[in-house]
Amino acid sequence: MAARLNREFLDPKVLARLAPLPLHARLPMLGSVSGRHRSPIRGSILEFAEYRKYVPGDDPRRLDWKSYARNDRHYIKEFEADTNLRMCLVVDTSGSMDFAGAGVSKLEYARRMAGSLAYIASRQGDAVGLYCAGTEFHQEIPPKRSPAHLGTVLDELGAMQASGETGLADALHEAAERVPQRALIIVLSDLFIEPDVLRGCFQHLRFRKHDLAVFHLLDQSELEFEFDRPMRFLDMEGGEPVLADPTIVGAQYRRALDAYLEGVDQVVRETEVDYHRVGMHEAVDDVLARFLLGRTPKRRG
Amino acid sequence: MSFLQPLALLALPLMALPIVIHLVNQRRHRTVNWAAMMFLVSAKRMNKGMARLRHLLILLVRMLAVAVLVFAISRPLAGGWLSGVGGMGKRDATLVLLDRSASMEALDLQTGESKRSTALNKLVELLEQGGHGTHLVLVDSATGQAREVDSPKALLDLPMTQATATSADMPGMLEAAVRYLKANNTGRADIWICSDLSRNDWDPDGGRWSALREEFAGLEGVHHFLLSYADRPERNLSVRVENVRRRTRGGDAELTLDVTVWAAGGDAVPCRVPIEFEVNGVRSVVEVELDARGASLQGHRIPIDARLTSGWGSVGLPADANPLDNRFYFVFTEPVAQAATVVSDDARIAESFRRALAIPTDPGRQHRVDVIPLSRVDEVDWEGTGLLIWQGPLPGGAVAEEIERFVGSGRVVVFFPPGRADDGEIFASSWGDWQRPAQEQNKVSWWRGDADLLAHVGSGDALPLNELRTYQYCSLSGPGTALARLGDDHPLLTRVASDSGAVYFCGTLPTAQFSSLERDGVVFYVMLQRALAEGCRSLAPASHRDADAGVLADRGPWEPVAPTEDAPTLSARGLHAGVYRSGEYWAAVNRNLAEDRSGPSPAATVDELFDGLSYRRIDAAVGDTSALASEIWRAFLVAMAVALILEAALSLPGKKVERARFSDLTAGGSDDRTEAW
Repeated sequence: MAARLNREFLDPKVLARLAPLPLHARLPMLGSVSGRHRSPIRGSILEFAEYRKYVPGDDPRRLDWKSYARNDRHYIKEFEADTNLRMCLVVDTSGSMDFAGAGVSKLEYARRMAGSLAYIASRQGDAVGLYCAGTEFHQEIPPKRSPAHLGTVLDELGAMQASGETGLADALHEAAERVPQRALIIVLSDLFIEPDVLRGCFQHLRFRKHDLAVFHLLDQSELEFEFDRPMRFLDMEGGEPVLADPTIVGAQYRRALDAYLEGVDQVVRETEVDYHRVGMHEAVDDVLARFLLGRTPKRRG
Repeated sequence: MSFLQPLALLALPLMALPIVIHLVNQRRHRTVNWAAMMFLVSAKRMNKGMARLRHLLILLVRMLAVAVLVFAISRPLAGGWLSGVGGMGKRDATLVLLDRSASMEALDLQTGESKRSTALNKLVELLEQGGHGTHLVLVDSATGQAREVDSPKALLDLPMTQATATSADMPGMLEAAVRYLKANNTGRADIWICSDLSRNDWDPDGGRWSALREEFAGLEGVHHFLLSYADRPERNLSVRVENVRRRTRGGDAELTLDVTVWAAGGDAVPCRVPIEFEVNGVRSVVEVELDARGASLQGHRIPIDARLTSGWGSVGLPADANPLDNRFYFVFTEPVAQAATVVSDDARIAESFRRALAIPTDPGRQHRVDVIPLSRVDEVDWEGTGLLIWQGPLPGGAVAEEIERFVGSGRVVVFFPPGRADDGEIFASSWGDWQRPAQEQNKVSWWRGDADLLAHVGSGDALPLNELRTYQYCSLSGPGTALARLGDDHPLLTRVASDSGAVYFCGTLPTAQFSSLERDGVVFYVMLQRALAEGCRSLAPASHRDADAGVLADRGPWEPVAPTEDAPTLSARGLHAGVYRSGEYWAAVNRNLAEDRSGPSPAATVDELFDGLSYRRIDAAVGDTSALASEIWRAFLVAMAVALILEAALSLPGKKVERARFSDLTAGGSDDRTEAW
């Protein structure tokens, strides 16, 4: 497979605009080094967490002597431990991602989003990995935090192509098992699979305590389905073509779409997924800014 | 259904146009790469139900609209009965056979229209709309002749379509139609028969129908339409007068007559009916009790002036459903002798004739039978004789001319064969050799029982001709029409057509050597008495005649005496009821008895008469003014408009679903911090 070495999908203006916005995890992350994300493990690094009574076995060096001096009791002073996160980008590379409405294709859009997110995460010291979820184009890059690894991820993003049937469900299950617990999994896909199948994938990932964010890429033309004459619809994932008169089947198409979207909404509510329905007409930086701001922890008090 | 522009129906395949357009549209599709196939496949699956049905309905309605438009352009005519036998397609001739008999004048009391006028109006309207080909021909029942007519509308004004007191001869009219069709070599022809199916007019038991069917079967493209008005008018009374006699008692004179009031349907309401008598302008009214079948007044006496030796009168009923049978005319004179002359050299045979003729049927009248040998034929009283019996060699020269004049004045001659072969000829007929039929063939195998000398008697019983035996007969050659045939098909009694009077040839002699005519007696007596009555009818100064085209042809000119208003034209005299006078002779013309008494034939019986022919009966009601066929293209255009509206309603797009904006669809929702940022 010929590698695509250019990185035009990385727009400096977008990156510059997003630079002030850090990527936060909604859940405690298990990182290998110190970072800006909460860790489930208590430590003594920066921020005070709580007092607790000393019990035999505790490290006497962590005793709060000032407290002992004030009330003659032994307390241990605990601090939250901050760490880095492992961000794993799962990009759907099925044939349907090659669909382009009025603007760029979904794959190109996903490439831009994934590249920007990888850059942001890497810049703040997080590990970045990539799963290309397609039956014909399947790639797996485990998360690492080195700058060179970022280059590998970006090169792979640039090289990926959309073809064949979707392998998203398998890729998500695989990611759930292979990515160590408590990682940030970001899915970029048109999600053209049954909501019930999605539910299983998302529940699997949530069970592994991953923070799951989904960017559902849809084109306005797919929602409206407005054609004025019979059309021959070629399945971009290689299925049988369908000859249909949209003036006849339009209403049924929209009913099926509504039912599907309602099913997806139901699934994301049940699995507490950070779900974003993205239109191809929206600017990438707007979508990402909304995503990043949405994850920024709210100030207390 | 029929069409005025049937060629336009060739465009009917255009109704497939919506399908063709649909198929072309299907082929004109664009190809597009599509990602969201799962919704499309689901939509196609859902579309198999009502939506597909709606689509098919739209297609059907479009096809219907095109078809209806084509039908409208074809100018359809309403009237489903026209379609069965070729409809109102292209034809070369249309023949209208109009029954002008008195029974056709039965009125619809609401509209005042008679059966005849209703039928005529409907037919004219139909022919105006549908065309009538190159020739429009009228065969009316009164004259029985085929006449070409310029236009359908002219039928309404022609005197040959007006009411008469005659009876119709439907087989005769159809024979005239066949003659016309053959003489003019017409191609396709429609024959429209307007009739009330009166048994008297149709004579369904007559022997001419089978020949007619064969004649019509040999003509291609002839369609028969029977416009039937068989409904009998309710509570219609008719009146007849019989046995009118002038009598003198002492110095006074009176008329005696029998009056019969007849309720044809037997549905008269019992009541008292006034009968109006009018004699020479003097009127009187007598009320009679009416039962369901009618009433009769036997021997009614009307005193008259003793000096009035001849005159006329009428009997009338109050107006009812048929005005033409409410009045009956009669005439009277002093009775005249019934005179017959027998010319024969064989005394034995002459005596046989004399005995049969000398027994009067009416004892009140004088009878005279003269027997004269051939050698003294110049002594025959040609003016005072009603019936001439000629037994011997056929005459020629002056005698033959005298006999022709005799017949021309309305009297009757019956020729019997000579004892030996003879080569004379008269009325284009001549005797041949004597022959002896085989024993099994000496019976009469067929005779005409509906009319003429051998007709059934008044009770309907046939004369006993089957008991008659013929041992020798003389063959006859000539144009005569057989009235009776022997077992070997040889004619026994024939009648030669003549404008007036009657000429008969009987092929055997009454004596025992030749036949059982004299021995059995009844047939011989009835035959001769009928011939005598027929011959003396024109002899009497006053005669009662059945209305017919040639009824006043014997003398002339006949001048109408009554009714005084609307006197018929010269050519129509004899067709209308009334009193006519020619010098000392009086004639009362009325409808015949059968016209009053005869009911309609069952429709099925009439249908059988056209068995094997292209035929359609249309039952209509008197006074029904609805058209036989009317253009209904407007209805088709309305149907097309309805179809188009239906198509538009079915094609209306469903309620437009407003697609939500992406910002509204985003499950996470936009954070107000995005704007702040």
